[in-house]
Amino acid sequence: MLVSKNKGTSLLRSSEKRSLLRFLALYFILVTMILSLLGVFYYQSQEKLMFSNQRTILAEYANKQAKALKQLHNDFPHRTTYPRSNKYRSAIYDIEGHKIFSLLKHDDIKFDKEIYRIGNSLHFLKTLDDYYLGTKYLFIEVDEDMAWYKETISDILAFGTLTLIVLIIFGLFFVSIFLRPMRNSIMLLDDFIKDTTHELNTPISAILANVEMMDTSIMSEKNQKRLSRINIAAKTVSHLYQDLTYLTLSHNRESKDEWIDMKQLIEDRVEYFAILAGAKKITFELDLKESAIFIDGVKIARVLDNLISNAIKYNKRNGKIFITLRKNYLSIQDTGIGINSKKVEEIFERYTRFNSSEGGFGIGLNIVKGIIDEYELEISVKSVIDEGTTIRIDFTKGTLDG
Amino acid sequence: MVKVIVLLGVIFSTVLGAEEVDSVYERNCIPCHRYAPASLEKLFMVYLKTYSGELTLKGALKAFLKNPTEEDSLMNDTFIENFSVKDKTTLTDKELDEAIDTYWELYDVRKKLK
Repeated sequence: MLVSKNKGTSLLRSSEKRSLLRFLALYFILVTMILSLLGVFYYQSQEKLMFSNQRTILAEYANKQAKALKQLHNDFPHRTTYPRSNKYRSAIYDIEGHKIFSLLKHDDIKFDKEIYRIGNSLHFLKTLDDYYLGTKYLFIEVDEDMAWYKETISDILAFGTLTLIVLIIFGLFFVSIFLRPMRNSIMLLDDFIKDTTHELNTPISAILANVEMMDTSIMSEKNQKRLSRINIAAKTVSHLYQDLTYLTLSHNRESKDEWIDMKQLIEDRVEYFAILAGAKKITFELDLKESAIFIDGVKIARVLDNLISNAIKYNKRNGKIFITLRKNYLSIQDTGIGINSKKVEEIFERYTRFNSSEGGFGIGLNIVKGIIDEYELEISVKSVIDEGTTIRIDFTKGTLDG
Repeated sequence: MVKVIVLLGVIFSTVLGAEEVDSVYERNCIPCHRYAPASLEKLFMVYLKTYSGELTLKGALKAFLKNPTEEDSLMNDTFIENFSVKDKTTLTDKELDEAIDTYWELYDVRKKLK
């Protein structure tokens, strides 16, 4: 089985990644908007430049046409042919904006602009003082080669893209500067946990070994209960120690993948947690079929321990834990407090806890998610407040069929 | 005999009716302008050059015909010295509108330009 060794620990939580992505998206949108605005200003300035270049020629055409209209007016009605030119097209409108005669390609004219572009044509408007043939507004239309337009658009795209790339590089640089303090604080916490872990090992091992060695048959019932409590407390700390050890030390060790009998493993882990569950009068209901997956034994044990430990920790007194194992999946269901649907996505983040009233560092499910992702398995969470939570792992790879 | 009298009566009334069919414009404008130095056609072009739009021209012409003054006249000084300004119209507003509409329709350049 090919396993992606995702050993590098991501220092950013997914909510922080989301914030980072949001910031980058906002930055990108703002930069694009500013560049677009600059592009529009540049386009308008180039258009104005083109208009000022064309204005002289068009004004000359308009004067020529006005003279021809004057001549026609004086000759009317003996001569009724509207004056035409092969250099331009024209149209005449009266003072009320009604068309008198038009040779224009584009008849959607504007009375409030001296010069404007419409399609691939330019319109020039001249207002006459003497209304020959009733003409107040004379429009001149010429075709445009659009060379300036193509040049302007290619300039905008080239400079815009270049500037956008430079600004995005700047943005990423700034983000890395802003994130440095956040990374430092997470690294500091990781270092603290790492150092603390070393100091936990010896006393916990001593407590557990001595508890196991004690002869309970000669003890009074009261003392047996006290010893059981010590055992539970020591196992809880031991569980935490193992999580911390995995997180800080085992993460860097080479995986030793082998076929793991899941049924056997689950039964072992349930037995291990029986005293812990018994303290809250929680009972296990197991529905296990044969299943084996190719995985590192330590890692899958961490997955099971954390899921069972959470099912106990967040369960109600006299609650139940249903563990179902099939060839292709494992599900662990509790009858606990449940998780708010909005928070379900966040439960796999490091240092996140379901409920602040319970102890722990909030690293268990982060470890689970890391292992699940490493072996490309699938994990899903269904939870209803006050009814309980079901966590299901699908063995998409690594089974005897997979 | 009676039939002949009736027939003559019908012909006479038809002739009289035909005279009435002549428009207000034909009856009231053409007779004078036929002899004036400025033809109605030339005057229309002068009005068009001065007022441009249909509504503007009709409004200005109606106002002048109802109250003709030297200041509002578009004729040159020599013409006014020789012929003076025309008298006020005796036509009603409705008749005046009808005559002006006919005048516009007759000389509208839009229909003639090609």
